[in-house]
Amino acid sequence: MPGVKKYDAIVIGGGHNGLTAAAYLSRAGKKVLVLERRYVLGGAAVTEEIFSGFKFSVCSYVVSLMKPNVMRELMLPKFGLELLPLESTFTPLDNDYLIRTADADETYREIARHCLRDAETYMRFGPLMGQIGMAVRPILETIAPNAIRPSLSDLSKAKKLLDHFKTLSSEQFEYLTKLMTMSSADFLDEWFEFEPLKASMSASGIIGTFMGPRSPGSAYVMLHHYMGDIDGAFRAWGFQRGGTGAVSMAIARSAEHFGAEIMTEAPVEKIIVKNGKAVGVVLENGDEYKSEMVISGLDPKLTFLKMVDESDLPSNFVTDIKNFRIRGSSGKVNLALDGLPNFTCLPGEGHHLRGAISISPSYDHLEQAYDDAKYGDFSQAPYMDIILPSVLDPEMAPPGKHVMSCFVQYAPYDIKGGWNEQKREAFGDAVVNTIARYAPNIKDIILHRQVLTPADLESTFGLTEGNIFHGELTLQQLFAMRPAVKWADYSTPIKNYYQCGSGTHPGGGITGSPGEMAAKKILGIWS
Amino acid sequence: MSYYNEFTANTQLRLSPFFERTSKLNESQEWRRWSGYLAATNYELTHDNEYFAIRTKAALLDITPLKKYIIEGPDAQRFLDRLVTRNIGICKVGQVMYTPWCDEDGKQIDDGTVQRLSENKFRITSAEPNLEWIQFNATGMDLSITDDSYATAALALQGPNSRAILNAVASDKLDSLKFFWLMNTTFGHTPVSISRTGYTGDLGYEIWMDLKDALTVWDLLLEKGKSYGITPTGLHALDIARIEAGLILLDVDYISSRHAIIESRKSSPYELGLGWAVKMKKKDFIGKQALEAEAARGPEWDFVGIEIQWDELEQHFRKAGLAPGLPCTAWRTSTPLFKGNEQVGYATSGAWSPILKRYISLAHVKSQFAREGSELMFELKVEHFRKFTPAKVVKTPFFDPERKRSCPV
Amino acid sequence: MSQYDVIVIGGGVNSLVAANMLGKDGKKVLVLESRDQVGGLASTIEFIPGFKCNVINDVVQWIDPRVMDKLYLESHGLELIQPDVPRIALGENDNHIAFHCDPNQTAESIANHSEKDAQVWQEFTEYIQKLAQFLEKLYALTPPNLPNVGLKDAFGMRSMLGPIRKHGTRGLVDLMRVTPMMMPELVNEWFENELLRTAVSTAGIHHSSFGPFAAGTGYNLLHQHVHGGGVFHNAQFVKGGTGELANVLSSSAESAGVEIRTDAKVDAINVENGICYGVTLNDGRPIQADQIISGLDPNNTFINLVGPSNLNPNFHTQLKNIRYRGSTARIHFALNGLPEINGVLADQLGTVFSIAPSIEYLERASDAVKYGRLPENPYVEFTIPSVINPDFAPNGKHVLSATVQYAPYHLRDQQWSDELKSQLKENVIRVLENYAPRISSKIKSSTVLSPIDLESQFGLTEGNLNHGEMTLDQFMFMRPTMSTAQYKTPIDNLFLCGPGTHPGGGLHGTNGFNAAREMLK
Repeated sequence: MPGVKKYDAIVIGGGHNGLTAAAYLSRAGKKVLVLERRYVLGGAAVTEEIFSGFKFSVCSYVVSLMKPNVMRELMLPKFGLELLPLESTFTPLDNDYLIRTADADETYREIARHCLRDAETYMRFGPLMGQIGMAVRPILETIAPNAIRPSLSDLSKAKKLLDHFKTLSSEQFEYLTKLMTMSSADFLDEWFEFEPLKASMSASGIIGTFMGPRSPGSAYVMLHHYMGDIDGAFRAWGFQRGGTGAVSMAIARSAEHFGAEIMTEAPVEKIIVKNGKAVGVVLENGDEYKSEMVISGLDPKLTFLKMVDESDLPSNFVTDIKNFRIRGSSGKVNLALDGLPNFTCLPGEGHHLRGAISISPSYDHLEQAYDDAKYGDFSQAPYMDIILPSVLDPEMAPPGKHVMSCFVQYAPYDIKGGWNEQKREAFGDAVVNTIARYAPNIKDIILHRQVLTPADLESTFGLTEGNIFHGELTLQQLFAMRPAVKWADYSTPIKNYYQCGSGTHPGGGITGSPGEMAAKKILGIWS
Repeated sequence: MSYYNEFTANTQLRLSPFFERTSKLNESQEWRRWSGYLAATNYELTHDNEYFAIRTKAALLDITPLKKYIIEGPDAQRFLDRLVTRNIGICKVGQVMYTPWCDEDGKQIDDGTVQRLSENKFRITSAEPNLEWIQFNATGMDLSITDDSYATAALALQGPNSRAILNAVASDKLDSLKFFWLMNTTFGHTPVSISRTGYTGDLGYEIWMDLKDALTVWDLLLEKGKSYGITPTGLHALDIARIEAGLILLDVDYISSRHAIIESRKSSPYELGLGWAVKMKKKDFIGKQALEAEAARGPEWDFVGIEIQWDELEQHFRKAGLAPGLPCTAWRTSTPLFKGNEQVGYATSGAWSPILKRYISLAHVKSQFAREGSELMFELKVEHFRKFTPAKVVKTPFFDPERKRSCPV
Repeated sequence: MSQYDVIVIGGGVNSLVAANMLGKDGKKVLVLESRDQVGGLASTIEFIPGFKCNVINDVVQWIDPRVMDKLYLESHGLELIQPDVPRIALGENDNHIAFHCDPNQTAESIANHSEKDAQVWQEFTEYIQKLAQFLEKLYALTPPNLPNVGLKDAFGMRSMLGPIRKHGTRGLVDLMRVTPMMMPELVNEWFENELLRTAVSTAGIHHSSFGPFAAGTGYNLLHQHVHGGGVFHNAQFVKGGTGELANVLSSSAESAGVEIRTDAKVDAINVENGICYGVTLNDGRPIQADQIISGLDPNNTFINLVGPSNLNPNFHTQLKNIRYRGSTARIHFALNGLPEINGVLADQLGTVFSIAPSIEYLERASDAVKYGRLPENPYVEFTIPSVINPDFAPNGKHVLSATVQYAPYHLRDQQWSDELKSQLKENVIRVLENYAPRISSKIKSSTVLSPIDLESQFGLTEGNLNHGEMTLDQFMFMRPTMSTAQYKTPIDNLFLCGPGTHPGGGLHGTNGFNAAREMLK
């Protein structure tokens, strides 16, 4: 009976971070309730059968950064986590192509075909980025301190991190500084010459970000995407069998295994705050649930500006949250196909369809795509990160048919004149036309098309402004500043109200990290 | 004994111009990757015959995967003198020098040979790609750098009969070609250059040719060499021979400082037994200041030959009820070396030497334990159990025949 | 036996400040300037007979107070002119914003555009001043050698505690927030009026190759406000022209016993086995000295004068990776009369005018750098120096000097030529005419300095006026490289003091002051 049962914790939002937090809390013996607004769990990591027989990782589509300890501690493989490697990155060009694979010799030879020197440099670059990733890891694994009024434990954390940085070689420190501040293009220009290689590598610096490869700050986003390499044993990118929704389902099953209750179609209207303390939630249908703690997996804007009244928050905190930048920049186009795309530069089937297909032939291509968005329109010739999930997992589509997932930049949330049906379709056409430039048969094999603009991502998945990272990964929005200074340790100005979404440290992607660290923080308070 | 069994297969790996021949001769179909090439591990089902070809007849090896760079121009010698640790100024036209090169911290990047083809033209060979390093350090100098790796094919002809074979094939006699010298000649109408170099520590030559002439040269050598026992030879046999010769191998015995990631993986030439190749009297070269400092304080590590004492080794096996079982090929697993309870080194490669009848290995040892005759304990696994058996630091090369350097005239 | 204790290469502001400091300490100092006059970026020349211009900088944003005090520049004759209105942002329909020294007056001007913005203006300038105060302390320091900071370095940073005590850790957090920001982010938090937002943004792109949408423009904005005394984007003129700043420094140096030679171009810095022992002039004469300090940019100092074969590969890589990418051009017009600017009274002309109607306008101009072309509508900032210094032009005649962004050094499919320079000039005149309609009829003559010209005439690599971009990856312990951020270099006895070092570009002299302090340690 609603209103009667009392929980230790209620988690708002059944996205992967909310579920992760719930699983950790249940695992520690807490009584946890997860409330998901939609009919399906997973938030931005969902699989849905949009067209009969065709399953899509509708929003988030690859798994690269999932923390191995989360997988182990929550026993995710037991509950269905099965990550298939994405073997390569294929960049089609007008009369040629570039493909990078997991094999060093093959990649050396392929890059050397275009630029001998780059092939050599590439072999040094990967390990260096891995080292920098290692160097950053202690920061990612530290609960961010309060930078305004540091506690003793915050100071000892800061000391630990300082000591850690002293152990870095000056080369590592130098490159870390550069990665934190430079544009991905400038950073890569220091290393490489062959433009399609640089453009394809720089593309990971713009994903989910309203920046071009030449925008300072994009190098950090690139590093963020390299973190997947940290554990060595893992390939950077993986595809979950059954789509990314299966990752969320694995976490959900793990949470249930530990005793959590999960409700779908249970949209939360407000947090109930009494005497400055969160004591429960009220659903849109009026049902109330009481709990000792409330944890929001939503983005900071929803967590603070929608779920609670501004009057319950300090005004400078409200200003900070309002100033938190969360501009959506990407769209998603999901295609049901009658066959496989046939690339003019590399016809037929092969390795290249088993990995990521990157539409990033040059910096100019990416920059022009960004320029369109910068001035308020979607990109006429967008950057795309495409995968063919059905090639890796045949169950995603009926036999002989395929699904194609296109992550598209840029599509600004604040498009001039606002998003409407017509613009959405025009955006979809721009995507298909851009693919057709490299794989002309695409137009003939499309059976169905789903186009998601940032406005759609907002309305469907509750991502404010359609930002896939719950807030941009810019320097001033990281670590002790994410989402706001003083409240970067998952706590909030409201007692017993916590946050665990991608808008908290260490940020977006299917990592499980914010959920895990928030749960650990809360458990620390409980003990 | 031969069973007809022909097949073709696809590969993503690079194929040497000799592959058309070697693929058919390789009865074991055992291949190994070498710089992105498919390289024969052994041609016969065991490598024994190939090993003995190196030491008693003549072995023919495809060494095309080596990296080759041509440095040409007025500043070529000045540049190489800055790049490598040896004194290129005294390298005469037609001479070859083996040398390491280092980064500015005096840590070794790679080692290889420098051939002086003419006053202003050199060829460098190396194990790993070095183009980026070479190009960058040549900034501002008047010279051209060409990566010749894919344009030049190379064979090694090694063994006591190698000279006789070349004398039979080449239009010039090789009798006066001295150790680490180079000559140009022809095989019939095919121009080749021959250096008296190799990676076996035996009498031997390396033959450099244009890609298009590769098969002509191969066929001529096999035809004329047949009566001298010429034997296509793979990497298994070579690996034993190079250990006997005390020659280091990149990525096995040391890691290039360009790829080492962490400091402790890097080695200076002093720490690789190549102190003799560091010429301090030379003007500034890359790494000189660091190496001077290292020489002054004494290197921390040394690189030595180790002989694992047979009798004690045999005892260990006998206790388990077995005859001594040694790997029949060279091994490359890092193996700890102890002095008392303290680990003072590690062996990086080793082999049973069929010609010396000794169990030998190459090892990094802390300098104070690296004197000749120093006794260490070598970690050994006998029937799944870890044992320690005595090993002694000995002089390298383990095998050093007089014919390696001598000339008949 | 060396002829000199120290040779200073280059006769720019920082070189002269360093020479002064060293000379005062009793060192035997020789300054070698390749041009026929000292000054470098602070040069005033006669560009056509009878007409003078400040070649590069018409105004100084700030001068290091330590330099002013220690070198007694005022008693040596330096006269700075502080206009009441240092800057006017030209707007549509004669509706400009005048930035006064007094924020209340500025707010009045802003109120014509937005009451709301006018109300927060003072708070904004205080906010910026607060953050700039952190930089003031930081700028006076020699950057620590990271990541191996010792206790000594930490102790050396103690002056940073002052502003922290004053503004709290929140102040430091705000600094960390604002420095990596892009201009639209910053102004979105404060203002609604586009002209004001844009005028504020122009401080973030001063002499930069990046547009306002670039992260880190927040830092560049703060840099313009160091020692600004709370005046927004301050501008001070030098009596007699910017070149007088150099002349004063040079006479003060000479009085400290420093020998200054002009027309003395250094051809090589002589190094053997990693030790520097002198220079060779372009006439082939070597001069020996115990120490050499270079005010040139890192590329000229090391690649051109020391030579790559004397550089260790890692340092060489760092040098190669310094970004210059000059994107600023200067155009000097000799005018037959005083220009009339719509909505500006004749007595308001002694200021800096900026023409940028919107942030998007600035950003579109900056796109030119990405694609290596000239902007159709460049960002133009101009002064009429002859109003301040009447001797700049014959009676009744005037000079208008424009700073033009963006004029990229690196062009694609074309090269800087006279045609291209006149195309740039035409674009600038067209932009000027929107606000000064009759300007083209008054132009008697003009000269355009492209980044290529700045490179060849002033030894500025790629024409960069800051000796290296003012970005966060080239800031403090990274400036100019991690191995040279303490003004020392990997080459013994060779030091740096130019704008390529901490704390970057401008005519403030801080670099020279800090560098001399390091040498005298």
